[in-house]
Parts: sequence; C-alpha cells; structure tokens
Amino acid sequence: MTNKPATHPRTIVLVEDETEMANEIRGELEAKGYLVRGASIAEAADAARVGDAAMMVMDRIVFGEDSLVTLEVLRKEGVKVPVLVISALSSVDEKVKGLKAGGDDYLTKPFAMVELVARVEAMLRRLEDVRTTKLRVGDLEMDLIEKSVHRAGAKIDLLPREFRLLEYFLRHPGRVITRAMLLEDVWQYHFSLETNVVDVHISNLRKKIDTKGMPSLIVNIRGAGFMLNNA
Amino acid sequence: MLEFFRSSAVRVALAFVLVTTAATMAVFGLVYFQIREANEARNRLILEAEAAKSVNRPVDELKSAFEVRLTHDLRRIDFAALFDSNRKFVFGNIEELPTMAVDGKAHYIGGVRARDSGNLEPAIFVARVRPDGNIMLLGRSLLESYAYRRIVQQALAAGLVPMLLLALAIGAYFARRTSRRLNTIHDAIAKIMKGDTQLRLPVGYRHDTIDKISRDVNLMLDEIVRLLVQLKGVGDNIAHDLRSPLAVVHAQLERGLESSSDEQLRVVAKQALAHIDKAMLTVAALLRLADVEYGPKSSTFRSIDLSAICSDLFEFYEPLAESKSIKMTLETQSPVQIQGDGDLMREAVSNLIGNAIKFTPDHGSVRISVVREDGLPVVRVCDSGIGVEPAERDKIFQRFYRTSSGHRVPGSGLGLSIAAAIANLHEFDLRFNDNNPGAVFEMVGRKR
Repeated sequence: MTNKPATHPRTIVLVEDETEMANEIRGELEAKGYLVRGASIAEAADAARVGDAAMMVMDRIVFGEDSLVTLEVLRKEGVKVPVLVISALSSVDEKVKGLKAGGDDYLTKPFAMVELVARVEAMLRRLEDVRTTKLRVGDLEMDLIEKSVHRAGAKIDLLPREFRLLEYFLRHPGRVITRAMLLEDVWQYHFSLETNVVDVHISNLRKKIDTKGMPSLIVNIRGAGFMLNNA
Repeated sequence: MLEFFRSSAVRVALAFVLVTTAATMAVFGLVYFQIREANEARNRLILEAEAAKSVNRPVDELKSAFEVRLTHDLRRIDFAALFDSNRKFVFGNIEELPTMAVDGKAHYIGGVRARDSGNLEPAIFVARVRPDGNIMLLGRSLLESYAYRRIVQQALAAGLVPMLLLALAIGAYFARRTSRRLNTIHDAIAKIMKGDTQLRLPVGYRHDTIDKISRDVNLMLDEIVRLLVQLKGVGDNIAHDLRSPLAVVHAQLERGLESSSDEQLRVVAKQALAHIDKAMLTVAALLRLADVEYGPKSSTFRSIDLSAICSDLFEFYEPLAESKSIKMTLETQSPVQIQGDGDLMREAVSNLIGNAIKFTPDHGSVRISVVREDGLPVVRVCDSGIGVEPAERDKIFQRFYRTSSGHRVPGSGLGLSIAAAIANLHEFDLRFNDNNPGAVFEMVGRKR
C-alpha cells in the first residue's frame, strides 16, 4: 500500500474492553502512524473534553455499560470530536440509535480491519474537507457547480451516478475505500451484496476517466476495496 | 386441600353457590316482606273503615252488633268495646282502654289482655269518640298473623336448605370436572416439558374454551417442534458452512507454514483470508436474518414508493446486467405506495434482482415490474435463467438452501431467506413461479 504515515501522529482514543480486539485495532492503526490510547469510557470523555483526541473509536457496550449514554452527554456539551461506534448490535434500529446519539459512523462486528481503518481515515479526512467547488487529482478535475469533469483539458461525460462515485473518490484521494463504504455513502444502501455490482460500476467509471496506455487512476486493493491514486 | 381451594374451577363453583344463595335469599326475603306488610296494611284499613262506619250508630244497636260480632268470632281475633267519656268500661270484651290516641286511626299496641283470656297479646286498635261523648274501641289481634308469618318463614327456610345443597352439588360437580380436565392438561404439559415433544394436549368432543385453548396450544407445539427441527437444520448448516471454509483455511495455513519461501506463505495467507471473508459473509448474513426476523417493528413504518425503490435499484444493477449482456427492463406504473421500511424493502428487492442476474446466463433477459393487481401491490422479477427444479421449489426459501445447480454460484444462501423474512414483515408473500424457462419471484401484498 502506498499510504504514507501521517506527518504528525494523531491521537485516536480507543474504548474497547475485549483485549484481543483492542490489540488488533491498536496494531492496525499504529501501523498507519496514529497514536492510539486505550481508555475507559470516563477517560475517553475527559480526553474529548480537553481536545486531547483527534477522534474516538468506541465499542458500544464496555464492561456492561452503554457508551452511547456518555456520547450523548458529550454531544450535549458541544464536544465535536468524531466518533466511530463499533458494536455487535447490528440491527438497523441499533445503528440509527448509535448515529442519533452522536456517532459519526457505525461499524458492526464482525468486521475486517481494513474496513475499520478505511472508515477511521475517511472520518479524519472529512475534518480536513474545505468547502471547495473544485476537486482535483493529477490532471483530473471535477467542477461541483457545473457538474463537469475534465481530464487533461478534455471533457468527460459521466452519468449522474458515475459523477457521484467519482466525487466520492476525489474527496478521499489516497485512501482505501471499501465496497461497504461506497454502498452506504454513494448509494445509501445499508445492506451487503452478494454480487460484484460495485466492481462493475468502478470498471465502467475507469473506462471513462482513464487514458489509454496509462495505469488506472482507481486501483483495486486486494481484500479491501479501491483507492484513487493521487501520486 | 388448600391446593384444591386455590384452583380456579373451585373458586368459580364457590362463587356460583354464593351468588345462587344470595339471589334465592333476596327473592324469599322480598316475598316474606310483601306478605307481612300487605297483611298488616289491610287489617289497618279494615279497622279504620269499620270504626268510621259504626261510630254514629245508637248504643243498643252497637251493643248487639258487638255481641253478634264477638259470638261469631270463634277464633277470637276481634276486639270491640265501648267506654264512657270518663274512659270507664261500658261493654265489650276488653275492660281497659289502652293508652293511645283517640283519633280514628289504627295504632299498634304491644300487649293487651282480653276479658276472657289471661294472655297478653299484640294487636291493632282504632279508638273513636262517638257523638254522645263515649269512646268506641275496635281491634284485631295479631297473634294469628304472627303465626302465619312464622309459617312463611319456616317454609322459606325449608326451601333454602335444599336450594343451597343443590347449588353446592352442581358447583362441586363442575369444579371437579373442570379441575380434572385441567389436571390432565397440566400432566401432559409437564411431560412435554420433560422432553416428550411428540405428546399433545387431550382435545375432547366438546367445543368449549378449554378444548379451544388445548387445540391452540397443540398448534403452537407443532410450530415449536417444526422450528426446533428447522433450528437443528440451521445449526447443522451453520456448522457446515463455517466448518468447510475453516477446514480449508486450516489446511492452507498448515501448508503455508511448511513451505520454504515467504512468497508461497503470502499466497497461502491471501487464499486463507478469502475463505475467512466468506465465513464472515455467512455470519453477517445470519445476523442480518435474525435482525429482520426479530428486530424492526411495524411502528417504524412510513409510506414508501415501491416504483421509486425499483427504478433506483434498476439503475444500480444496470451496469451488472450490461456486463453480462443481459437485457434488463423495468416496468413501473404510477407510484405504488405501501407502508414499510424503505431500507429493508430495497434490500429485499435488491436480493431478488441480484439473484436474477446471477442465475441468468449471458445474453438472457431480466424483467422487473411493479404493479397493482386487484388492488394489491406486486413486485415481480422474471428471468430467463436456470430456473428452479420442481423438486427444489419448496426448499429455496429455507435458510442456506442452494440449488444443486447453483452451487457454483457464490453466496451465503441466505439471500432469499432474508427477502422472504422482509416480505413477511411487510405482510407480503414471496412466491416462486415458473417462467419456462427461468424463474419468476414475486412479492405480493396480502389481502387484509
């Protein structure tokens, strides 16, 4: 993978009572250059209040305590730290509850580590998002107002769904994007698929935006998903 | 014994006895009261009328009238006497004017002694002043009337005892009968709980509530047994579906460890990961199925448009169909509104369309239509694919079932089960029809 460690290690507060799961998450995130600090719910809340955490990964139930309660309190206090809730409670109702309580994303166990890392990175990236009307990667340029896409000056005609897909990639350049993320964020589908329809959408998009003889802008990441090359 | 009184049947019987007794006593009391009152009121009226009539008659006429009256009064229940203005006895069968108002109205006197008898007796009297200043007294003894009352009382009491006994007997009979039936049911349930799942509650020829409940419980037991069997099947399937990828992973990792080069180990690890992903897909699908079956309540339902959902999914799946050169068409009328959960409905229809494309060979066709038929909403997905063998048609909605010919196609085998569970949640039926060749899956709203 071409992911460069972030220049400044940023602190991610991890609230998880299952030791093995906590170690796995810590290992994955530290490998990406983040500083991971394990914490109880109360410690995490304190860290969030003093701005000591770039984001938090919170298990839903920690030692029998529902972390959403604390999260709700934090949100009422105006604490804006991004929070990824992970949980074994998978029903749609629970998901909605998690997001309502102030979670920015909700991931259901069991999940693949790449899924977790991809979501953490997307979440931190969202913070950096400036209100922009133009997205650019290499010689590919997207105008969000005119709804147009140019590559090396040549206009590319995209269907609305292809436009939305490409926009999502352009907003997360150099990050791993999983199929589930695309389903949820581009199509708003909250279920998993047993067909490779997302891959077909990507390959159609590639055909339109890639230039012949050059490596594709969007690459497959085995076992994880896709990534827009921003090199 | 305490147990006996606690049983609801006995309680009902006791309540029955109590109510019967109370009702009988109320009727008897009313009868008795009416008789008593009517008798006394009549006596008073007669006396007052008589006194008013005879008060003006001359003294000797009155005297002979009294004599006739008293001689004919064999039962000696009448009193008649005349007193002078000084309340001195003149004639009659009572020697002393009782202490009472001389006003022509009837009055009750507790104890009066007649001239010829020594006993005190209760009576009603009317005293009236005659034009000549004398006082005329008429009366009637209540001895007889009291005796009559006693007879009525005794008769009523005599009637009440057998009435009570009868009520008790009937109550006991029903209590015994009901509690015996309940005990049989209780014993049967105890046996079933101990594990004899084939046993059923006894159902008699009566069509009463107990039989009705027994029949319902038996139906419930049938369903539970069916679910138990299914659960066991599901358990076996889960074990199988998870064990095979795990066994493969195990073998691969072993091989990888024995290999000499790192490169080989990497290849093996990647393969192992793919198999673990498959197992996780299965687990996720199972959890999803449980969510749909036991999770959402219809209270969260809102108005959703099936046409919009289908055209959205049509657009989503179009590239996949194109990649297999499948001709996919969509047929929607005006909006088809139903009450439901949009996300779940999308998931169900997505499974149907995904399946149709998956099982249709290249250059085939898939047709999606959303219509209202006989007022019922219908979502229909027709394909020209491999269809379903007649022998397998019952099984395709079962968990984990994959058609024998479909084994080459990857998937958790839970897609149709999830779709069926979602349809059921929305009071839709998911049905299969033959498309000759190919399959038609349709979700049809149930008639209400």
